[in-house]
Amino acid sequence: MPPVAAGEPLLPSYALAGAAEGERYAPAVARVVQSLIDYTRWPAPRNPLRLCLAGPAFHASRLDGLKLADGRQVDWRVLPPGAVSAGACDAVYIGQLPLPAQRQLTAALRGRGVMTIAEADPTCRSQAMFCLSFAAQAVSFRLNVDAVARSGLRVDPRVLRLSAGQP
Amino acid sequence: MSSERLPTIRDMLARVHLRLMLFAVLLAAASLTLSGGLVIRNYAQRNLDLVARTVAYTVEPAVVFDDRQAIVDGIASVADGGGVQQVEVFDPAGRVLARWNNPRAGLPAWVLQAGNRLLWPRPAAVPLMRGATRIGEVRITGNPEGLLRFALAGTIIALSTLALTVIATRILARRLQSDVIGPLEHVAEVAHAVRTERSFDRRVPVAGIAEIDRFGQDFNALLAELQGWHASMAREHAELSERVLLDPLTGLGNRAAFEAALADAVTHAVTTSQSFAVLYCDVDQFKAINDAHGHAAGDVALATVAERLRAVLRQADRAFRLGGDEFVVLLAPVGPGETVSRIAARLSQAMTPPITMPSGQAVCTGLSIGLATYPDDGLSPQELLRRADSAMYRDKRARSQNKDGGL
Repeated sequence: MPPVAAGEPLLPSYALAGAAEGERYAPAVARVVQSLIDYTRWPAPRNPLRLCLAGPAFHASRLDGLKLADGRQVDWRVLPPGAVSAGACDAVYIGQLPLPAQRQLTAALRGRGVMTIAEADPTCRSQAMFCLSFAAQAVSFRLNVDAVARSGLRVDPRVLRLSAGQP
Repeated sequence: MSSERLPTIRDMLARVHLRLMLFAVLLAAASLTLSGGLVIRNYAQRNLDLVARTVAYTVEPAVVFDDRQAIVDGIASVADGGGVQQVEVFDPAGRVLARWNNPRAGLPAWVLQAGNRLLWPRPAAVPLMRGATRIGEVRITGNPEGLLRFALAGTIIALSTLALTVIATRILARRLQSDVIGPLEHVAEVAHAVRTERSFDRRVPVAGIAEIDRFGQDFNALLAELQGWHASMAREHAELSERVLLDPLTGLGNRAAFEAALADAVTHAVTTSQSFAVLYCDVDQFKAINDAHGHAAGDVALATVAERLRAVLRQADRAFRLGGDEFVVLLAPVGPGETVSRIAARLSQAMTPPITMPSGQAVCTGLSIGLATYPDDGLSPQELLRRADSAMYRDKRARSQNKDGGL
């Protein structure tokens, strides 16, 4: 695969390397995100479910056009930069944003019934509900219990067992 | 004795009890084991299904997230409780996603396999569903250890119950023996005593069991009748034998009684080395009295003579009437200061008073007495009697000569 297109000059150099791996992780990320959505209940059923991308992302190329296990469609939309108001989203995939920006975003979405998944926060300090972590072959996730508790969503408790950071 | 080889009632009771109880215990054990085994097998099957469903529920997110380590952890957290030998999770294509084996297999593998083949023809399988999509399958192989332990425990319990049964049979037989056979043995013992010892006064005691008591009452009633018969028979027999040996006119013993008494006296004298005497007496002029005064007068004379004999004789002496006017006296050994001839003289003297006849006339008579002493005059009864008889004739001749001479 050629390096990521020159159309994104704003990406830092380290991100370019990640972008090269993006296609490798993209299916796994799509699977994890879809599964997380599958195991989460919104206060009212969302159909279709609106999944938004905030910021640039390395592994989100397969997130467009997801289909849930129960057959619901997932609408994919990319939020414009700086648009922290996410009233139009049921789930937000937070891409490669600086930590303060991520925190700002999660703080704005807290208690609003919006799922947050952070791609670039392996230590899970952004207060996102789920933080992806990338191992050599597999994609796993950590779960921020505080964030899940305050999100207003119900996550299947069985998912807690799968969280990498949880005992 | 052949009777010792015959089975006793106690043996028969014990055998019957044992068979009955063995049959009951084996039947109960077999039916309990069978039904219990079936029930437990069903429960084990249900348990397997339940574990399979629980595993499916638990590992479903892990399968969705494709987290194999989480699958194994999830299986272990559910299936570790026991009753499960192996858990396998397959993906829809049939590839193994995770396999978990019970680390605590206590029995050899071949035992487990045989037990499994017997109990569960195929492993419990539950599909893994995510919504309407089939995302895999959980297959569980059971662990028959629990069932095998149940069978083992059942066998041990059945065996110990059998042992208890045998003991209980013995105790029951012993109790039955004391309750039933004891009273029967009382009856048998009484019957035996009645037969061998003629103890008709024995009675069967009350047993406290209705049938045996009825039997005992009838038996006692029979015994009472038997006792009555026996008593009357003995009485009649005694009367008859007395009558046979008695002279009805004088009340003295007759010839048969005398012969027996003489034989006894000889035997007694032989064993005790004592002497005794036989007095042979004959009434003088009895024929003349008979002729002159009639037979009734003769009878009176004989009775009077017998009475006078009895009056003179001592307690131990015995008088007999041999027939006609002949009497015999058996004299017991005489004490010191006493002689046989003096007794004879007293007898002779006792006859001197006249005898009053029924007609009112008085008749005088006397006794001719011959004496024979054992052992001086003879050793056998015949010899003694012969000697006494001839002595009596000598006396009679002497007396008649005296009389003639006196006249």
